[in-house]
Amino acid sequence: MTFEDIFETIEVITYFKDGKLRPLRFKWNGRVYKIRQLNGHWISHRGYNKQHHYSIISDSSDYFELQFDSSDFDWQVARVCLGG
Amino acid sequence: MNDVMRNDHSLMTTMRTIMHIDADAFFASVEQGFNPLLRGKPVIVGGKAEQRGVVHTASYEARAKGIRTGMPLFKANALCPQAIFLKGNYEHYRAVSDVFQEVYLQYTPKVEFTSLDDAYLDLSGAMHLYPSVEYVAKAITDEVYRRVGVGLSVGVGTSKLIARIASDLKKPRGIVCIQPEKEKEFLAQLPVDCLPGIGRIAKDKLTDLHIFKIGELARLNKRIMEQLFGKNGIKMWELANCQDRREVTRKIIPRQLSRETSFEEDTSDMKIIKGTLQYLTERIAKKLREEGLVCRTLSVKLAYSDFKRHARSKSMSHPSNDGKEIYTHVDQIFEEIHLRRIRIRHVGVSASNIEPQHYQQFLFNEQTRQELLNGAIDEIRERFGFMALMPADTLELQRKYRMDSHGYILHNPALTR
Repeated sequence: MTFEDIFETIEVITYFKDGKLRPLRFKWNGRVYKIRQLNGHWISHRGYNKQHHYSIISDSSDYFELQFDSSDFDWQVARVCLGG
Repeated sequence: MNDVMRNDHSLMTTMRTIMHIDADAFFASVEQGFNPLLRGKPVIVGGKAEQRGVVHTASYEARAKGIRTGMPLFKANALCPQAIFLKGNYEHYRAVSDVFQEVYLQYTPKVEFTSLDDAYLDLSGAMHLYPSVEYVAKAITDEVYRRVGVGLSVGVGTSKLIARIASDLKKPRGIVCIQPEKEKEFLAQLPVDCLPGIGRIAKDKLTDLHIFKIGELARLNKRIMEQLFGKNGIKMWELANCQDRREVTRKIIPRQLSRETSFEEDTSDMKIIKGTLQYLTERIAKKLREEGLVCRTLSVKLAYSDFKRHARSKSMSHPSNDGKEIYTHVDQIFEEIHLRRIRIRHVGVSASNIEPQHYQQFLFNEQTRQELLNGAIDEIRERFGFMALMPADTLELQRKYRMDSHGYILHNPALTR
């Protein structure tokens, strides 16, 4: 099992409700991944801006850490764990 | 020992009720809690297997294979090649620690964090609100586990000392309450090095006197302990006799603040070494200002490529939290060290003799230009991140390290507060 730091911008379909957001699907490297399981969410701070981190398992059973920057609404794949 | 542990009824509310909560294998538990693929597998946080550096935390599965905190990563890899090595993420651990704090504060306002994963709660004035102290412990551990998947071990007693020792007895996810009247008996049977302040040297001294258990130490005359260990001897004797009146205070002044890192490869490049020292100093100064503290003594630590270490300290004429002033002293200390003709693998800076910043420097307490400048720097960093403003010399490190808004991504940063 290997972890890689990626930090690549991605497109994400997100569901907003009650001031919370939940990623549903994302496209990375030309492939669409459906989010099967949201393991957890935490927030870090970058100056005044918040960065939301989502730990997820995709439909391909791979682990990803997605990152949402509240300053520019940019989503990134921060980390990936392949070969789980 | 089981007869002194109590699980069925609460402590008397008139006595102090101190709870110590410690997260089990914290960094590894966070990683396992947020990634189900890691659960049940040996996880080592500290760096990749092929990197230099040491194990910060090992999961219980890795500990079963003989992995211990502080062990070099290459050795851990040799012992447990199937382990999953992670470099760790301080921001993530801090966010989880914030969840701990949120949960603890639901039960009492008197919470003292001694590290990211370690806290004391004083429930003395709040026990009339809950059925029992076990109820509180269980509610806290359950909520934290549900929210972040981290197991907690809890110890309860009438003092910090008892609570701390108790929390260590039934790891992982244990709740141990010591009855007030049994505390002395409980303490008496433990080895002397369970007491804070008794390290290897003190233990050896006591072993020479055939004192192995805390009970034996407690029976000694207080003056003998004073003669053996000075002022600390009296403290040890008092603790051995369950005389611990230390309060749970929300904010504590750290004894020492240190920042260290290992280089990715050993170096003799003075620009990189000094740039790193200045960067580490800048981080310490920022932390001191954030907490409203100043330091008086500075130390520089070096480790050479043959693993030999060198450290040197010096005190300043007046306490300070100004990065520029502190670095001037750090640089002086570094220059005074007679460097061996051998490359350096690890550097560190530490500040000690820390005190609150309430001294009056000038008659009319006017702010110096440097204080105003530091205030402006802190405000800019608060808004745009730590790397928004950096001393020019530290920019040399860009050659070596990637950076994010929190700072340079050092090869082997300390993952602690």
